[in-house]
Amino acid sequence: MKSLFQKVPRLVLAVIGLAVFGLVRAPLEDDLREQLVAANLLLPPPGQGAFEQMSQSALMGTLGGLRSLVATYLTLNAFEHFSTKSWDDLRANYLIITNLEPRDESHWVSVIWHIGINATANMEIDTRLPAFERERRFNEYAFQAIDLAERGIAQLPESFAIRLQLAEVYREKLKDDCATARVYGEIVGLPGAPGYARRFYGYFMARCPGREREAYDYLTALYREGEAQRLPTLIKEIKNLEVKLAIPSPRRIPDGDPDRRPQKSAEKPAKVLPGGIVVP
Amino acid sequence: MSDTPNAPAESAPRTTPRGAGKSVPIFSIGRVYTIASSTVTQLVRMKTFYFLLAFALVVVAVGNFNIPATPAKELSMIKKVAFGTMDIFAWLFAIVATALLIPKDVEDRTLYTILSKPVRRIEYLLGKLGGVLSVIAISLVAMYAICAVVIFSRESLFVAAEYDSMKASGQYTAAEIEEQLSLIQQQGLRAELGIAVLASFFKASVVAAVTIFLSTFASSSLFTIIVSILLFLIGHAHHMASSFWLDESGNSVVVQMMVKVIKILIPNYQLFSFSEGIVQGEAVVAALVWQMGGLTAGYLVVFLLLSLLVFVDKEF
Repeated sequence: MKSLFQKVPRLVLAVIGLAVFGLVRAPLEDDLREQLVAANLLLPPPGQGAFEQMSQSALMGTLGGLRSLVATYLTLNAFEHFSTKSWDDLRANYLIITNLEPRDESHWVSVIWHIGINATANMEIDTRLPAFERERRFNEYAFQAIDLAERGIAQLPESFAIRLQLAEVYREKLKDDCATARVYGEIVGLPGAPGYARRFYGYFMARCPGREREAYDYLTALYREGEAQRLPTLIKEIKNLEVKLAIPSPRRIPDGDPDRRPQKSAEKPAKVLPGGIVVP
Repeated sequence: MSDTPNAPAESAPRTTPRGAGKSVPIFSIGRVYTIASSTVTQLVRMKTFYFLLAFALVVVAVGNFNIPATPAKELSMIKKVAFGTMDIFAWLFAIVATALLIPKDVEDRTLYTILSKPVRRIEYLLGKLGGVLSVIAISLVAMYAICAVVIFSRESLFVAAEYDSMKASGQYTAAEIEEQLSLIQQQGLRAELGIAVLASFFKASVVAAVTIFLSTFASSSLFTIIVSILLFLIGHAHHMASSFWLDESGNSVVVQMMVKVIKILIPNYQLFSFSEGIVQGEAVVAALVWQMGGLTAGYLVVFLLLSLLVFVDKEF
């Protein structure tokens, strides 16, 4: 045995040792990888589409373990496209970014905000384009944002932030109160969802034709929860619905309409001269 | 003749450390520590810590980018750049420093002086590796401290600004403001980020162990550095590339065999990138961190033994 040890080159023995170690560790590493991916600590390989769209340097960086850095660089690059209003390039950048880091919620929120809010706003004011083209692109960007939001929600089903951004697109750009109410309704009950989502759900439900009664019941239930929920907008919405649904006076909430509250007297005190000079 | 003054001295036991009869312990932590500390001094003299200045500049610059993003997104970007840079520094330093040390000792003739003393070769290798890992650990802690200061200052600013604007709008309850602020704090400075630093250290340790193995039989530092970087890239890309490769080749048997050989011979470095999830705000699973620590220790032991196998009979 000793003579064999002396005859065989040490490097060959080292390679054999390396192979034995590899055989022992491979199943352990496979198991560890699964556990790390399940705990969201390790990212699964990016989608094939990401590899095809990446530049050579970005691809090398990703393969070399610089995935987060490549994603950050592309995010900065996307801001460059934002400043030059190159919306299609910006979207292409974010498609790679979201493939590289699909579990980073902020990427999804950013791309929906850029495409759904900024790009559509730009189409509203970009007079270089004919009106028809602007309208066509406006709708195209709005629906691209919705599509991106759906992809984000598929990756992160419990994300309220993606839904908040989607609700903003429906609310501000497409003026679709029913869809806005639906999205706020999805947010209610999600872990970490902001408390105002419950009120917003009610506000937009109230504006959705055919759901007024449901909205009234929902908002009055919120009202009855206590002072914390009795904000001016909530009271205003209930007041509107009371009129719309012809709720009898005894069943109406006691608060006055916030828009009709008596304003403080504009008269200046007798001893104050114009210009705010006080007479002693 | 018995009265000669030398007689008692000859019969008395010799007490000098170099005495022929003095038994040398098989392994001495003290000797490893001495070699490790001299390695640290050697690396510090190479002005290694100047890198920290560049790191501080990068982190401060990213922290002051004026981009239209939410506070949470901005904090997330600062963290990603900072921890990505720390990770690059750690593994690149592990490769270059480890690859340079043994050839430099040969070139300076320091190695002959060390090995002519009662120093075991495993002690020498362990000392060298320990020195490199100590410098990496010190650098990572220093970089983390810089990064923590930047993240904390930005987080405090964002929280104060968000609080003021929400309070001024008058539309939100105290609980809602608290919820919003916690979203920012989630991307701020958290204790878990320390584990992300540990993950980079684990990766750098494995890289250093592999490099020291390569440097025991390599003919030059350049060879060691190039091969180590190539192995790092393959070890990182292997899992991502193999599915793509197998798909392209229609699951060919040859490709399957090659993928298996690579998997067995080259360390899976991608596994050590679990800092990415922590930086993104995911919760740390202690059991997994312990397992990764165990795997790192396994790599260190095996690659040190393999290095010793090649290095033990090497003639200089």
